Amino acid sequence: MKLTGAQAILQSLIEEDVNTIFGYPGGANMPLYDALYDYSNKLRHILVRHEQGATHAAEGYARVTGKPGVCFATSGPGATNLVTGIADAMMDSVPLVCVTGQVAAHLLGSDAFQETDIIGITTPITKWNYQITKAEEIPSVFAKAFMIAQHGRPGPVLIDVTKNAQFELFEYVYSKHVTIQKYIKKTPLNTESIDKAVQLINMARKPYLIVGHGVLISKAEKELQTLMEKASIPAAVTLHGLSSIPSDHPLYVGMVGMHGNLGPNVLTNQADVIVAIGMRFDDRVTGRLSHYAPHAKIVHIDIDASELQKNVQVHVAIQEDAKTALKALLPLVKKQKHEGWLSSFVVQKKTEMLAAKKRAAKHTDLPTMKDVIEALSNETKGEAIIVADVGQNQMFTARYYGYKHPNSFITSGGLGTMGFALPASIGAQIAAPKIEVYAIAGDGGIQMNIQELATVQQEKLPIKIIVMSNGYLGMVRQWQQLFFKKRYSSTPITGPDLLLVAKAYGMQAARVTKKVHLSSALKEMRNYKSSYLLEVTVEQEDNIFPMMPAGASVEEMSLEE
Amino acid sequence: MIYTINIVAENKPGVLYRLTGLLTRRKINIENLSAYETKKPGISQITVTADINPEVVDTVVKQMDRIVEIVNIKYHVAHR
Repeated sequence: MKLTGAQAILQSLIEEDVNTIFGYPGGANMPLYDALYDYSNKLRHILVRHEQGATHAAEGYARVTGKPGVCFATSGPGATNLVTGIADAMMDSVPLVCVTGQVAAHLLGSDAFQETDIIGITTPITKWNYQITKAEEIPSVFAKAFMIAQHGRPGPVLIDVTKNAQFELFEYVYSKHVTIQKYIKKTPLNTESIDKAVQLINMARKPYLIVGHGVLISKAEKELQTLMEKASIPAAVTLHGLSSIPSDHPLYVGMVGMHGNLGPNVLTNQADVIVAIGMRFDDRVTGRLSHYAPHAKIVHIDIDASELQKNVQVHVAIQEDAKTALKALLPLVKKQKHEGWLSSFVVQKKTEMLAAKKRAAKHTDLPTMKDVIEALSNETKGEAIIVADVGQNQMFTARYYGYKHPNSFITSGGLGTMGFALPASIGAQIAAPKIEVYAIAGDGGIQMNIQELATVQQEKLPIKIIVMSNGYLGMVRQWQQLFFKKRYSSTPITGPDLLLVAKAYGMQAARVTKKVHLSSALKEMRNYKSSYLLEVTVEQEDNIFPMMPAGASVEEMSLEE
Repeated sequence: MIYTINIVAENKPGVLYRLTGLLTRRKINIENLSAYETKKPGISQITVTADINPEVVDTVVKQMDRIVEIVNIKYHVAHR
């Protein structure tokens, strides 16, 4: 079959089971968009309003479906606008395939109009990238790209296609089976390490599971719960591990990390065996490394060898995906009861709740972010997909929503990209059209990528947006209050009247300024069949506690200012 | 500590860029570097010598091993 390069790209995407593309046309990818005109029944193209929005939407889509998200952008500024989203996907192990247009091959290196070295720019933030200069390269490069994006620890790849390659006619044949030398050799499961891990787990008196994104990626939620229940092991999650365990599970103890729960952090240092699954001991999780888990023998399961022994020296390192490793552990782990140990989590939880109650008593009748998220959780019964932005709003959303289903919490963790929530919610809603999707942001983050409101409207997506406005860049302000003598340098922020903004985009909107109106406002929003923006004016200088100050150990969680 | 890293990789554009980028990221200066195609077509031998903190060398090499085109990678303390 003779196809142009542009047609071949679209045909390759269809071979890879793609049906949705997030993108933006421009000079260097015009042949691709011209070909797309004839593929509109097979490929849904979502026109974003900024290429960064395309990457985050593709991330949201990938997080919900487990399939790679696909982005199109033109050369030069179109391509460079993808950079933040690609870096975000790299940090958070999200599979993306980004296709950029490029100037014609004979112009490469000449500073041609809208030429930029996007291969050079994205090399450190992609798993792999490649520049196609001849159409005949397209099938094998696309097959390879999709394999790499999904293989092992997922991540973003970028394919740069020169304009001439998009025009060229060639004989198109697609084969999904590409050989990547590296992926051929598969090391068998190390049974010795599994045995060592089992021995530790079976002898432990205070065993503790710390669960990360890897459990969701490998779909090992059931195996994880079986292990927790069989050996009666309390389990905490990282930010990206959230929603891997139903939050009402009796052995679920909460979130670890800088703004995590008290018990999960403090008790890390009392555990005698820690099994860390699909997580990477990020500095936001460990706090001061020299005082991290001093009494524990640590078993670390991760698919990425370079994460093992990177931050924390562990006793047993198992390079394997979470599901395979858990399946190997399960039959060998003994039934246990750890009642005393479990009750220490209950004690810590009480302390944390008491402190929260004390803090709440100081507040006015303005709602707090905690009030908003708790009300949303009650209202939706934990059934929604929640896409959080970055900052205080994100931490409150992580802590106070009762997640029930895998992949129902989506956020930018590793890179911490403000402006993530709105575009990511677009991808999530397209991936799960029947599920309620909420984008949660602050009045800072909503102003980054606010242009994507137009995308929501053009695509008629019923996304619900909650903006919690406190007139500050809240997380930075909290740090200024606590660690920079309350010198609020450039953190007070104003914004447009969001109700008017929503109206301008043709979106329904409302504002809440009193706690007592919160629940009815949420109900009204939920019942509205189309998109809806709810702005909640929240307590101005509220803080997220407990918190682990930078450089402190997990034991040194502070409960108040 | 001065280490020598021996790498066998597919001979593709960008591999050296990815490798050296991982060193640049940690501000590691390269003392010696050679890259050539071996007798086996399509396969390159790359040797890098650099001053690397012993605490991170293992992670750096494992991060290099994430590069898709790298077939084999080993390191040792450099003979001086």
